[in-house]
Parts: sequence; structure tokens; C-alpha cells
Amino acid sequence: MKKLIALVLSSAMVLTGALSVSAAEVTELPREETLYFGGQQWGTVNSYNPIGTNQNNAMATTAQLLGSRTLMFETLYMYNFLDGSLTPLLADGDYSWNDDLTELTIKLKDAAKWSDGTDVTSQDVIRTFDIGVEIGNNTGTGYGAYIDSIEAVDDKTFVIKAAVTEDGNPVNPLKVNDFLGGVFIAQAAWIDAVVERNGGDATAILNDAAEDVVWSGPYTKYFDDDQKVVLVRDDNYWGQDASMWGKLPVPKYIAHAIYADNAATEVAFKAGEIDVDQQFLPNIQNTWLEEGLPISTYMEEAPYGVCLTMPTAWYNMNNPILAENTALRKAIAIAVDYDTIIANAMTNQSPSFADVPRSLMNPTEGEQALYDHDAVADLQFAGNDIDGANALLDEAGILDSDGDGWREIDGNKISLNAVCPNGWTDWMAAMEVVAAAGKNIGVEITTLFPEWDTVQTVFTNPNQTEYDIFMWSPDGAGPSMPWGRIRQFLDGDLVGIENNWTGNWGQYSNERATEIVQQIPLTSDPEELKALYTEAIQIYLTEVPSFSLMYRPAVFHAVNESVWTNFPEDGDGRNIPPADCTDGYGIAALYDLELVG
Amino acid sequence: MKGYRKYFGKKIIWFLITLVVAVLLNFILPRLMPNDPVAAITGKMAQGLTDASAAQRIYEKYQEEFGTNKPIIQQFFIFVKNLFHGDLGTSFSQYPRKVSDIISSSILWTIALQFPAIIVGWLLGNLLGALAAYIRKGFDKVLLPVSLFLSNIPAFGMAVMLLVLFAVKLKIAPTSGGYNFDMIPNFSWRFVKSVISHYQLPFWSIVLVSIGGQAVGMRSMSIYELNADYVKYARFLGIKDRKIVGYVFRNAMLPQITGLAMSIGTMVGGALVAEIIFSYPGLGSTMFSAISGGDYPLISATTLIITLMVLVISFLLDIIYGFIDPRVKAAQFD
Repeated sequence: MKKLIALVLSSAMVLTGALSVSAAEVTELPREETLYFGGQQWGTVNSYNPIGTNQNNAMATTAQLLGSRTLMFETLYMYNFLDGSLTPLLADGDYSWNDDLTELTIKLKDAAKWSDGTDVTSQDVIRTFDIGVEIGNNTGTGYGAYIDSIEAVDDKTFVIKAAVTEDGNPVNPLKVNDFLGGVFIAQAAWIDAVVERNGGDATAILNDAAEDVVWSGPYTKYFDDDQKVVLVRDDNYWGQDASMWGKLPVPKYIAHAIYADNAATEVAFKAGEIDVDQQFLPNIQNTWLEEGLPISTYMEEAPYGVCLTMPTAWYNMNNPILAENTALRKAIAIAVDYDTIIANAMTNQSPSFADVPRSLMNPTEGEQALYDHDAVADLQFAGNDIDGANALLDEAGILDSDGDGWREIDGNKISLNAVCPNGWTDWMAAMEVVAAAGKNIGVEITTLFPEWDTVQTVFTNPNQTEYDIFMWSPDGAGPSMPWGRIRQFLDGDLVGIENNWTGNWGQYSNERATEIVQQIPLTSDPEELKALYTEAIQIYLTEVPSFSLMYRPAVFHAVNESVWTNFPEDGDGRNIPPADCTDGYGIAALYDLELVG
Repeated sequence: MKGYRKYFGKKIIWFLITLVVAVLLNFILPRLMPNDPVAAITGKMAQGLTDASAAQRIYEKYQEEFGTNKPIIQQFFIFVKNLFHGDLGTSFSQYPRKVSDIISSSILWTIALQFPAIIVGWLLGNLLGALAAYIRKGFDKVLLPVSLFLSNIPAFGMAVMLLVLFAVKLKIAPTSGGYNFDMIPNFSWRFVKSVISHYQLPFWSIVLVSIGGQAVGMRSMSIYELNADYVKYARFLGIKDRKIVGYVFRNAMLPQITGLAMSIGTMVGGALVAEIIFSYPGLGSTMFSAISGGDYPLISATTLIITLMVLVISFLLDIIYGFIDPRVKAAQFD
């Protein structure tokens, strides 16, 4: 019987394995030539299409403001969130704006080539933008409103013409900058082939699996199945030219196993099966302090990483009690114990609001220098100020007149809910602290944790009245920041937009703030900009339409140095951002990696 | 013969009615969830978009593509029509992958994990149960509490315990996946070995939990049968013990066979916990992500598979019982 079972077992297994066998030549990835990632890819990859949408292929096709992942496809520039700079990749040297900020001229590197050996030309950039607008992919929907057209000057030089308003001003030059670091350039000839084989059908083009894709990056597809995705280095990569990196990236293979969840990823990371992990690990310092594992982060001390965003509690202004009572909004905000949130929910992987006072800026030095700290010092609050909050409410006449311990407005007890998605444990912990603050000042706040899909359906609806206080993060970093984030916090023009993923989810409206949001992109004088930023922050801290609960990295970056070492570290002088060795200028790390021993 | 025909005819009619109702429920229930999966896809696409009207355009485009802007009754008929063409639709959460593609790539892993685990758990459990009933004394005193203990450990608890003990602490088993993290599937002994070693923990996490339940059931059935009149009578007649045990075992087996058939019928959804904890590829984890992602087409398809399997198995059981158990046959032909 046992033999029979063993036979059934092994034949079933062989059969299963056989079904997923591919044409890959190497059957075992040499550990010392492979860099393993975790926390990026959560399902079987569905395509390698750089002009498609619905890309779940995290390693190959992640295009983002924070810095696109240029392993297989490349952008014109690489964004570096440490200093906000754009380093040329396909582009040659700096870009130049004309005086009106309506035309941006860029030259491409002579050495830049596609995997089929042909040159990367202006036509490729033009075709990439045009097809985006035609089929409505992310490039089209994201930049169609800001870029009018791209025109070739010669094979290697082109001009991006910004969309202009009726009075001749550019709609938003900052968004044109986003295009430079965010959009993958695809080959014009390949785009033509895709369009032709799909008969010009937009949906079919967007969903094309792109098996025959031509790439310009240092890696290309090697293998993928339900359990992993592997990219292999292209040893003919143009970037080994002296005008770019001067060499090839060190790891021959980039691999990412598909884990079921964070817990499984964490186990594999600690076991050394993942080298670079993009995942929030509570108390990460314990992995080296207590467990003695060769794990490290960008910074040796708290907050261990570079925080770029601030998960925020938004007040829903559709609720008249919140819309009409600034004192109530401010009182709740100053009563919340942020140090507890940062210590518990974030296990101190965030600077405190005493270290980095609240504003509309992320905690990087670059953004912090953009506004006048002294001008808003009086408006600051670091939290847990119960007396101050109570005094504020008393002064505003929001009192507990029936003596039941809860304050009333117009005779009705104030009762609010505080919402975030179920299972987002650090956020849930933060919401509990907000609820506790409410109790301390006589305002009933109950927490509510619906499933994520439900939460996002509700809070992107501009007319929702179901959630009073809800959590969501503004964007972290990108060439158009901090403007993009200020807009998310304060732009009254976003009120009432259906399916609102853009910003101002609390439907806050302030005429002056909206004006500032419009002025910033058209202002280039640093002093003028500083005044605008400072004024925006004054409005924000006075009106409190929302309040940030903590700072948080946009990407988590932890490394296990059992096989590879020389990852970017704070103060190593290389200015490589801790962006998982892949995003924006973070990819520079791949060229410096060394084997342990 | 007429009796058989009538019996089968009735069974088939009930089978078809159940099938229609099940298909209807499979379609409607996921769609009653309060979320909007099209909004979820839009959300993935639209994050970071600054052009506010763009998100609305994306949303409308997907609504059109998935047909979620049509009345639900019309959606149902499209769903049924596609079913007849073998088209289970396009997944929301893994868009643009076809549901049939997702299922075909994961179902073999699930069957290869679950089927042997169910059979082994069932055989071992029944054997131990029968032995406990027959031997009694010390064996039973140990076995019963152990069985009760095992059968009451929730599946995830067992899986986590095995994971922590054998993979994390003792490091003698891999932590996750269906094969080694540094391998690419190929025809080699090393790969087969890797598959087998990754198979152990999820396999035993299912077997151990099921042994207990089976053993407890078999033990009480056997004890009941051992005290039956026909056993006493057989003993009086001087029939050998071994022969009697054979009779007893056969009679006690009948309800256990029903249990086995039902576990096989529901196995597609049953390995969810083991698959998730060990990141084992398979339909269980696919279903889990489909449910949390509000992926109607994928939920409907996986539940449809489970429904069909349960229906077919119970239909076959009914038929087989009609043949093998004269008592059932007599009752049903009346």
C-alpha cells in the first residue's frame, strides 16, 4: 500500500511539475549570481507590455512617480527621492525649458539602443506618447492633459510642447517633469507591430501579452510561472557604454518568488531566500539586535528608512458638524497621541512630530527647506494636548450640557466614526488611538474597519456620508512634489469629482488654498515659491481639514546580507536612494553590489 | 429493472434542479458583496493621476468591458451563455487573465496535494479507529485522546505549528512554495526531489488534522458494530475472530465512505489554509485572493467547480449505494 501511495504521489508531482516546465536553459539559479526580491510581486505575471495597463508585472513594468523600475524598460531620467534630482538615463544631459515654460528640449544619448540593436530615437518617444493618448493607457490618461505634443528636432533631439491654457500659460509644467522620470519609452517599430496585430483595437493593445517586446534596459524576461518570475541580464545592454554606467549590473538574474502574504515573505527574508525586501517589518531592529540575522536597513538607527509620505486622517466635510466646526477638527487633532501611534503602529520607523513638525511637506531635507518654519511655529501641535483640546472646545461653546460625559452640538451628542481598511494593522492601531483621543475630550469616536474594497469604493465617492474620519496617504515623492501633495490636501477644484483618486478626499474647499495650488506650478522664483508654500501650510494648520498621523516610507527597503553586500546606506556618499535597488536612481545600487566573502 | 429506471430518473431530475439553483446562487451571491471591484481596478490604475477626470474615464472603460453597467439579469444570461461555450470570463483581480487560464494553472497543484492527503488521512484514520475499537485496553486509552486532540486543532494552527517547528526552528523542511526558490521547473531528479520535499509540510498538515476525525468516527462505529447481535451470534457459532472483524469493518465502513466522498467533492476549496500558509500554489489561495478582491468571475468559477464536484460525487454515491447496500436500495425503491 505504501509503495502504491508513494508511486501515486511522485507521479502526480512529476506531472504537475512537468506542466509548468519552460524553455529556460538554466534549471537552478546560481545563488551567487541571483538577487532575490520580496514584497513586490503578488500574483502570476500577466504581461511584459510597456504600453499596456493592468500591469501586475512588478519587476518589469512598474512605472511610478517615485521613480519607475527600469530593469527592463527605461525612462528618460531617473528620479532620486533623496534630493529630488533627475539623472539622465536614455536622455543625454539636462533638459532645458524655454522661458515661458511651454517647451522642453531633450537630447537622447547616442549610445542608447534597443535590444534589437537599433538606436533609441526621438520617434520612439513621440510614438510612446501618441499611442498612450490614442489607447488611453496610463501615459495617455496621466499626461494627455499636460502635454500637447512631442516633436522631433532630429533623430536624437525632441521638444515636449506643454499643453497651454487659453491665456497661453502652460497647464502644468511640473507634470511634464513627472513624464521624464515616470514614463517607459517603448520602441516605435514594436508599437506599430502591436497595433497592427490587434487591428488597432485599444483594449486588445492594452492587454497584449507582448511576448515579442523590444526592450532597452539591462534585464529581460527569463522565466515566469505561478511561483516566481525571473529576469536575466542582457549582456549586450547599451548602458555599459562609458556615457552611462560604464559596466553591467552585477547580478545576472533578478528573481522574485510569489509568496502568499507578508508573513510568508518575512519567513523567507529571514531565512536568506530574499535579499531585498519591500515590506513593513515591525521592530525590524530586532532582526539584527536580537535574532542576530545579517539584516540591515538604510539607516542603522530609527527611523531606519527614508520617510516620504504621511498617512493622514481626513475629515469628511460632507458631515456638517465637521465642516462647520473648525474648533472640533483642531481639538481632535491636537488631542491625538502621535508618539503612541509612532511607537506602536510604526514601531518608531517614523520621525516624531516634534522632530519634523507637521506641514504639507514630507520629512526629507529637500522638502523641509522649502517653507518658513518660524512663520508657522505658533500653529504647530505635537499631540496629546488634552487640556488644550478641551479648552478649545469649551471656548467654541461645544460643551457637555447634559452631563453624560459627551459633548453636544445643537443639543445632539457628537458621535463620529474613524475608518480604515481591515487587516491594515498599523493603520487600525492608529485609528484606535484617534478614538481614544476622542474619549479624552468628550467626543465619541468609534472605529470601523470594513474590507479594503469597500473602503475605497466609499471614500472615492464625493458625496459619501458614511465615513467621518478616514485614513489615506497622500503621494510621497516625485518630480512634481510637493505641489502634487499640497493639491491632494487643499485643492478645492477636486470637490465633487466622481471616482476621485486624485486628492482632497475630505471635500475641503478654501478659495485661497485652491488659488495657491494653481499658482505653484507656474512659479519658478524660489522666494515666491517659499511664500506660497508657507501660506498653504498656514491655511492647513489653521483650518485642519485633515491631520497626518505618522510619517512613513513610500517603499520599505531592508536587505539580508548573507549573499550580497554593499547596498546603499545613509552617509555612504553615493546618494543612491533606498529604493529597493530598482526604482528611479535606486537602480544604481545594482552596479555596486558585491558578494559577501 | 423498471424500479431502477424510475430511481435513476428521479435522481437525475433532482440533480439538474440542484445544478440550476447552484449556478444561480454562484452567480448572485458574490455580486451581493458591498464593494465595487471595477472601482478597485480603477484605483490601481488611477493612483498618482493628477488629471481628475481621467479616473472617471478609466472607470467607465472597465465598466463597459466587464459589462457591470448592464442590468444584473442581463449579466446573468451572458454568464450562462458563456458557460455553455466553456468561457468562464475574465478575472477582475488578475485582469486581463482568463479565469479558465488561472484555474487550469492552479488546479493540478491542489488535486495533487489534496487527493493523496485525503486518501492517506482517511486510510490511516479508519485503520487506527478500527484497531482502537478492536484492541481497546491501553491502545484505545492513548489513541482516543490523541485523536480528539488532533481533530480539534484548527487546520491553520497545525500548519503554523509544522512550519515553525520543521522549517523555521529545525530547518529540515522548506518554508514555502511548491519547489525550491532557486529552481526553474525541469525534468530532473533534483527538481522532483525538491517538489517532494516542499510537498511534505502542507501534506502532513492536512493528513494529521483529518486522521483524528476519521479515527474517532470509525472507532465509535466499530464499537457499535462489535456489540451488534450478529457478532454475538457469530461468536456463538464459533466463527473465527478474524472473519468477524472483516464483517464488522465492512459494516462500519459505510458511513465512512460517504465522508470520504464528500471530502473528495469539496477538496478544491479545502486546501486553502495549507496553501496560504506554505505559499503553496493552488486553487485555495486563488480563491482566497478572489474573495478578498471581489473577483466575481473567479469566485463564481471556483465555487461552480466545487458545486459540480459535490453534486457529481453525491449523485454517484446514491447510485452506488443503490447497488451495494440492499437496505438503501429497498428503502429508495419503495
